[in-house]
Amino acid sequence: MIAFEHVGKRYGGRFDALAGLDFRVERGEMVFLTGHSGAGKSSLLKLIMLLERPSRGRILVAGHDIGRLHTSQVPYYRRQIGVVFQDHQLLTDRNIFHNVALPLMIQGVPPREQARRVRAALDKVGLLHREKALPIELSGGEQQRVGIARAVVNKPALLLADEPTGNLDPALSADIMRLFEDFNRIGTTVMIASHDLALIARLHHRTLELSDGRLIADKDAR
Amino acid sequence: MSPPRSRNESPSSSRERGQPRAETRTRKAAAQAPESPEAAERAARKGARSSRVSVESRYRSWLRHHAAMARDSARRLLVAPIASLLTMLAIAIALTLPAALWLALDSARLLDNELNDSAQLTLYLETSVDESQALTLSDSLRDAAGVGGVRLITAAEGMQEFAQALDLKRSLSLLDDNPLPASIVITPLDTTPESVRALATRLEGEPGVASARLDLAWLERLRQLGELGQKVTLGLALLFGLGVLLVVGNTIRLSVESRRQEIEVVTLIGATHAFVRRPFLYSGAWYGLGGGLLACGILALGGNWLAAPVTALVQSYGGNYVLPALGVAGGATLLFSSTILGWIGAWIAVGRHLASISPR
Ligand SMILES: Nc1ncnc2c1ncn2[C@@H]1O[C@H](COP(=O)(O)OP(=O)(O)OP(=O)(O)O)[C@@H](O)[C@H]1O
Ligand SMILES: [Mg+2]
Repeated sequence: MIAFEHVGKRYGGRFDALAGLDFRVERGEMVFLTGHSGAGKSSLLKLIMLLERPSRGRILVAGHDIGRLHTSQVPYYRRQIGVVFQDHQLLTDRNIFHNVALPLMIQGVPPREQARRVRAALDKVGLLHREKALPIELSGGEQQRVGIARAVVNKPALLLADEPTGNLDPALSADIMRLFEDFNRIGTTVMIASHDLALIARLHHRTLELSDGRLIADKDAR
Repeated sequence: MSPPRSRNESPSSSRERGQPRAETRTRKAAAQAPESPEAAERAARKGARSSRVSVESRYRSWLRHHAAMARDSARRLLVAPIASLLTMLAIAIALTLPAALWLALDSARLLDNELNDSAQLTLYLETSVDESQALTLSDSLRDAAGVGGVRLITAAEGMQEFAQALDLKRSLSLLDDNPLPASIVITPLDTTPESVRALATRLEGEPGVASARLDLAWLERLRQLGELGQKVTLGLALLFGLGVLLVVGNTIRLSVESRRQEIEVVTLIGATHAFVRRPFLYSGAWYGLGGGLLACGILALGGNWLAAPVTALVQSYGGNYVLPALGVAGGATLLFSSTILGWIGAWIAVGRHLASISPR
């Protein structure tokens, strides 16, 4: 699903945020990305989302060299990837339903179809009863679940999450991770950046560890 | 690492997975990636259906989004009515001046046409030419090239007109002989100054014609004034049009700034530039339309306000001049151009900001 080939990323021409990355993530895998703060976890995810372009090497997603995508094709590429942010990035001026419907609206899905799929996604994260609420009326954990619902409403083949449990207590974090495992079980490739090492250790998934932009460990916990 | 069976069995799943290039075409199929085998079958059948359906549905969703954005941006303007009104008023003021000038120019051009109609030239005949000879001459001129109309004023008629105009009957009756020559008033076919002048020189050479007289200087001066007015109006229209672009651009820039997070989020989840731009373009167009409507109102009010004094003034000169009004066509032109200006201003503002917001 994802292949990094000698990928390097240099910001501002001075130092390498990422260097010599070489790894593959297979279709349907669930992978954790760990490392100290500033190790380059977010940078790596940004490369996959084409928020940044690599300075060196190439990245293949679903067999396609994403470096060769024209700027005008990038939006269509991004629609195939679900992204969950640490600060969930919900739009505060619209309710939960419309937040989750956003990706579908962007793709021009008919309203009735939108409603059906939004409710299905909200049901999966257990927030169907809150669809009329505004984001600020929800707790941090609930907001994060809405963010996840938005990421999966489109049934993406690849789900990326950058510190999805960063602000949550351990119990809630475990809940969120279980949610990701559920999506992984139905075939979604999942990649999660996190430094909650205790939680990661309990979940028994493959873990990539970055340090100063280099891959220093690739543990298959199974 | 094996993906679930249902995904592999569905023809649409391979599309869903990769080929971002093909994604535009198969978006619908991809978006309905199935979870269960039944859903997979359904999606496969959908994908197999003629592409016309998908094109049609995409067109419909495109239209739906346009309508939604038009409504949404109008609603946003109404949420802050005072601010919106101020922006529109600024646009209206910028539009009013060139529009008013254009109207004035238009009416001046009307006057100009009337003047052209009265661009006549007078041939004074030799005093030796008697009445029957004058008649023959005027008849022959009637068919001459470039001559539209001919009117003979005999010496006697000339005297009569002269006397009437100056109320000199008594003193003139003291004269034994009529000192005035007969004259022929020619209406030229082509009323441009150059051709009238050429006609005059040509007719002056006719036997029996003493001199030709035409008074074009003031006519020409007026024409030059009109040309100047035209250029001034055009210059002002360009300048103030630019002003409208700036007003709308600045307003849109602020609203882009205030919706920065939203733009970033939708860009992250796959919104195209066109999608991001759309609501702002509609805002710009609404501002332009509102400004245009206000400008029409200002012009109508101003016209009303000026009508009474202008009519009084013109009547005191014995004239008959009605202040020009915008009319339906003029109003439509004004509204159309103000809307387009608003739209362009928004386009420029959003374009500049998209570049800074969206990741490369
Ligand atoms: N846009 C940027 N411009 C310059 N340097 C950057 C940029 N983004 C990241 N960096 C640098 O690249 C390095 C990696 O940053 P990154 O955000 O990927 O780390 P991280 O592993 O996600 O850290 P954290 O756990 O704190 O989120 C850091 O040293 C950071 O300062
Ligand atoms: Mg980070």
